[in-house]
Amino acid sequence: MGEQQERSKQIDPGLFALFGAWFLIGIQSFGGGATTLLLIQRSVVERHGWFSDEAYTRDFAISQITPGINILALTLLLGWRLRGLAGGFTALVGLLLPSVTITLGLTAGYAQVRTLAVVQTALHGAIPATVGLSLVLAASMARPFLRESYQMSHSMLLFSVALLVGSSLLMGLWNVPVVVVLLGAGLVSGLVFWFTLPESREGPAA
Amino acid sequence: MNLLVYCWLVFKSSLFSFSGLGNLPMLYADLLNLGWATEQQFAEALTISKISPGPTGLWVICLSYLIAGLPGALLSVIAISIPPLLALLLARVYQRIGQHHAMRGFIHGMALGAVGIFLVAMAEVWHSSGVHLASVVMVIASVLLALSRLLHPVVILALAAVVAVVWS
Repeated sequence: MGEQQERSKQIDPGLFALFGAWFLIGIQSFGGGATTLLLIQRSVVERHGWFSDEAYTRDFAISQITPGINILALTLLLGWRLRGLAGGFTALVGLLLPSVTITLGLTAGYAQVRTLAVVQTALHGAIPATVGLSLVLAASMARPFLRESYQMSHSMLLFSVALLVGSSLLMGLWNVPVVVVLLGAGLVSGLVFWFTLPESREGPAA
Repeated sequence: MNLLVYCWLVFKSSLFSFSGLGNLPMLYADLLNLGWATEQQFAEALTISKISPGPTGLWVICLSYLIAGLPGALLSVIAISIPPLLALLLARVYQRIGQHHAMRGFIHGMALGAVGIFLVAMAEVWHSSGVHLASVVMVIASVLLALSRLLHPVVILALAAVVAVVWS
């Protein structure tokens, strides 16, 4: 993590750049959380290079166990890593200003057109596309962690895939609450790492 | 209706939830009990939030606008912005013990678990709008388009909406 912060400081985006990046995300993120997440990842990881894939997914995981709307937690966290508290709030305001404004405008306008069949039909097309975009996003979120475990050993890779599939099953088939699944997956994996990894990997690795 | 009590309810439901729609059950029970909102208003808010930008969790802003007007909506923005602050605390804890094997493993497991949960949520969204040949084609096409990087995600969504309208 220290390495990541040093890297971020070298790039050192100003508050205006930060606000601009998140404003762009906020104004383009039609299609719900999946689109928003994809845009955030493309902006801060790919376009600006403020975060590595791994650092991004790690912060994503932290945002998942934070109460409330995860994307707002992620936005605060990423902004905070770059420019401290001011950065966190700048990113949050940048994201919310356009999206809340448009949402409020649509709330007023939508009541007028909500009964039109064409609106419902269009929604039916947009939803599968949202699902498709989410699959691409899910792959990029899992990739760094699967690659890391592949480099450790084949059985570690198998264990990681089992964690992913197992979490899906627990939630999808037995309706286990999200927090329980996440903390459970974390605990199991933490114990496995602790007892199977050699001491020498401690420290510089990560 | 007391605006401050309303905002407290929004805040409370957000604090005890871990996803954009996780606050819905608690808020639904509270507001219907008080007679401050109707099922119709919840349904409307959810539909509007599907076509508006930003996180799914902004559905609660639509609801607040519908039942408490602009002041209610703006106060709700503040109410839902407070719980995410806890992420900074969690990140500090992580920073202190993050290099330990157990902690690395914990984050590793949680990140992969999050992807698993995300996939289930998307499967439910897909299921709710109908899984049939046309939607399968649409999902595959949007995956390929997203991987190709040729089009912006919003353009892909708009294209899908247009195709659905033309096709019907």
